Amino acid sequence: MKFSLNFVKEFIDLKITPEKLCELITSAGIEVEQYEKIENDWVFDVEVTSNRYDWLSHIGIAREIAAVSGIPVKVKYPKIITTPALKHKKIIIKNESDCPLYIGRRIAGVKVEKSPAWLRERVEHCGVSSVNNIVDITNYCMLKWGNPLHAFDYDKIEGDIYVRRAKKGEPFLGLDGKERELVPENLVIADHKKVIALAGVIGAKNTEVDEHTKNILLEAAIFSPVVTRRSRRLTVETDSSYRFERRVCPEYVEIASSHANELIHSFANGTFSGYAYAGKKPKERKKKIPLYFGHLEHYIGSAIPQKEIKTILTHLGFSLGASSKTKLDVNVPPFRLDVDQAVDLYEEIARVYGYDKIPSSLPSIKNRMPVGLYDFKKSLRDFLISMGLQETVTFSITSQELMERLQQGEGINLINPLRVQENMMRTTLLTGALDVIKHNLNQQTHNLEFFEIADIYKKQKDGFKETPSLAIAMSGGPEKACRLKGMIELLIKWLNIDMTGFEPDARAHFTNALKVSVEKKEIGFFGKLDKKTRDGFDIKEDIFFCEIDMAKLAGIKKDKKMKTFGRYPAVTRDISLAVHTDTLFKDIEEIITAHAGGYLQKIEVVDTYRGENIEKGYYGLTVRISYQSQEKTLTSDEVDALHGKIRQAITDRPGVQLR
Amino acid sequence: MEEKIKQIKEQALNEIDRAETGQVIEELRVRYLGRKSEISQLFSQIPKMDSADKGKYGKELNILKQTIATALDEKTGTFGAKEEKIDLTLPAASFQKGTKHVLSHTTEAICRIFEDLGFIVYEGTEIENEWHNFSALNIPLEHPSRDAFDTFYLDVPEKREGKYLLRSHTSPSQIHVMKKLKPPLAVISPGRVYRPDKVDASHSFMFHQVEGFCVDTDINFAHLKGVLLHFARRYYSPDVKLRFRPHFFPFTEPSAEVDVSCMICHQKGCSVCSQKGWIEILGCGMIHPNVLGACHIDPKKYQGFAFGMGVDRIAMQKYGINDIRLFYENDKRFLDQFDEV
Repeated sequence: MKFSLNFVKEFIDLKITPEKLCELITSAGIEVEQYEKIENDWVFDVEVTSNRYDWLSHIGIAREIAAVSGIPVKVKYPKIITTPALKHKKIIIKNESDCPLYIGRRIAGVKVEKSPAWLRERVEHCGVSSVNNIVDITNYCMLKWGNPLHAFDYDKIEGDIYVRRAKKGEPFLGLDGKERELVPENLVIADHKKVIALAGVIGAKNTEVDEHTKNILLEAAIFSPVVTRRSRRLTVETDSSYRFERRVCPEYVEIASSHANELIHSFANGTFSGYAYAGKKPKERKKKIPLYFGHLEHYIGSAIPQKEIKTILTHLGFSLGASSKTKLDVNVPPFRLDVDQAVDLYEEIARVYGYDKIPSSLPSIKNRMPVGLYDFKKSLRDFLISMGLQETVTFSITSQELMERLQQGEGINLINPLRVQENMMRTTLLTGALDVIKHNLNQQTHNLEFFEIADIYKKQKDGFKETPSLAIAMSGGPEKACRLKGMIELLIKWLNIDMTGFEPDARAHFTNALKVSVEKKEIGFFGKLDKKTRDGFDIKEDIFFCEIDMAKLAGIKKDKKMKTFGRYPAVTRDISLAVHTDTLFKDIEEIITAHAGGYLQKIEVVDTYRGENIEKGYYGLTVRISYQSQEKTLTSDEVDALHGKIRQAITDRPGVQLR
Repeated sequence: MEEKIKQIKEQALNEIDRAETGQVIEELRVRYLGRKSEISQLFSQIPKMDSADKGKYGKELNILKQTIATALDEKTGTFGAKEEKIDLTLPAASFQKGTKHVLSHTTEAICRIFEDLGFIVYEGTEIENEWHNFSALNIPLEHPSRDAFDTFYLDVPEKREGKYLLRSHTSPSQIHVMKKLKPPLAVISPGRVYRPDKVDASHSFMFHQVEGFCVDTDINFAHLKGVLLHFARRYYSPDVKLRFRPHFFPFTEPSAEVDVSCMICHQKGCSVCSQKGWIEILGCGMIHPNVLGACHIDPKKYQGFAFGMGVDRIAMQKYGINDIRLFYENDKRFLDQFDEV
């Protein structure tokens, strides 16, 4: 909202520089976006928080300045005249929860013309364009009191005035020149035949005040914030809707209307000639909050002098009731409906006193909170980085089209997506991995190795499931398959688990995928994305991908205990084999393990060979076996005997030959 | 075969004996033990032999290999005195170092400071319902204060606690924890949050926040100031200044926005702080009694503070990142730059 310093000075005798004023109100909570000199005036553009409807008026701003500067405000209230009553027209409110109060004043014989310079300046400096003296007066009163007003051309209103909901499809041509079809969410002001205003938002062209207007009907009302909000969302946001949405001070409805009436008399020659209202006039409310000084100090952590507390509250417009050494009764003024309980007063006092004057201290922290998955995620992240992987952060929201392409049927749709590219929650981290790999390959960066730790989301019969997950993705040649497998094995080993099971996994879009299981519990999978799928994404390198359930992974983690290790030397022997391409390495590994008699330390593949000198359908494989005993140094003869047995067992297996 | 083995052995040992440089030794190693060596060729004849011979010659060939290898190693050992020269002007090998994403790094660094004070990390879920995201936090369902929290709604059947949505802030973590556990509590809660903002250089529909709160019988506003000052001094620099500006959040009262003194220009005015000398980093306040009440914590007995900050923005300011989209594009040239662990 924009406020004018000259306007504010109508209510407060202020003699400080704009710079100083800016600093003062910022420290009290009115954030100044910018301020500039316009002619002999200064205009401040300030951010008004949604609770402070009173700051949407110059009187409200003036009160705030009074509190921070110590200079009192002087407000002159208009005389309220409600007779004679309006003849020949009734105001009918269909539903008082939409509109608790509606006041109409007929003002006759107006002379519509250009506004005087002072009036034009007031509205224009606040960013409202000047239209004519009548419209400018209504806007001036809105800017002053915070209550929007509207002037209709009285003679264009046919019959009584209704405050009702719009009928579906009812046409409306607004003062902004835009034609709209209304819906029942819209609250309207209507006469016997037509809609004459979108309540609290904008007037209709059909009752516009122009140079031919002789008589006007001046509207002042309270419209429901929720209804105004819904209505303007379907149409347009205006200075009026902005204020009604944030509430208006009920006591000021009559005041703003009477003040406009006075000004129209002075500056447009109008004569008040009839008054009507519908709804309930605000009763004098007595909101009293007891303020306990001790609790204030306990809450803020600083003892603010009682005298200062009283001054602050008085300047802000609160009136003080009974007071003792420990307690003060505070009466809340009608323009501060946002102040409801003691903590609201604490804020008023603390912010005007100055947050900067409250000391800083560290509490002694006690805690009942148990540790969760975060620590595990953090060490996992460090572990993956230690293997040379790079962490990515990709969007959790993807497209339904992509989910369907990847045959992921359990995705949760967004009801109000921004774009179709982001209309579904992902059920796999693969979507992000593909995006990142594709982007980087397009940038001519190759041999990518990434990971991501994030949640995935699946629809379930009675709701949904959100699962923290880990994904590792690599691009490159076939050697990456073993690299990825090695990382998974090392990861499991890092969790202090001995056995990892890899079982074949028939998974759509992957060739030769394997399930990763630990102690017979499946925790995830890894595999190579099939060519058709990656072609679909226009990716030219092989993609290897692994996805693991984080909670399950954390669940299998075992505490570490020192294990003894063999100090006797290991002896290695190589075997060169010709292996049929249908034979799995796993089968050879199993034979070696079964015959090594507990002396097996490790099996390595030292060479593979495809080409000449080898039977068709076979490939050359050289395996290095390391033998080791925990109790003694193995002799050459012992190792040879073992090795011989293994060689024999391997040759007995079809599809494997010694070379 | 036997003959051949003997011959190779003699010739090899002889040549190794005569070798005078490491380079010659390496050539010999290739000649005798390499894939194309005579020994390799002999090995390849083994499968064609009958099984008695297979065992015998297999073993002998292995012994031969071992003998030659030992001789080569021993000879190499004698060259110790005259080290070979190496050319250190050759280009260095390149390494791929693993890297933590700058958002993770920033989140961890922020949480760590609070963890050191005794806070414990809690990660909530990203799918929330209206009660946790709004109502329990004292945000009425239809209110202008909700404009700041525009929300993605999800196609999940509505339950007692309202429609399902993607959390628009990390504050629902307060509610989850306080509903389950009674004070004293000191919790820090990082995570992804979502708002339907059109994507541009400073907006993303997904971004990151860290929420913190502390509740006990005697936690006050001065403690809030103290804890945040401690954070700022640790995260930015020991001489950083903080400014608490009154603000409004439905879930705290009193509320404040917190600025740090601009560390780029030292408050002389620069583009990072828009010539203001201050940079806004977080929102905070004393937890509203209605929020405590919603979690069945007696506001007459307990009080506490809460704060929330945007990780993306803090990282952008700290590292001079001018476009939020860079975080989510994951270009390797971007990821490579932030390898602080």
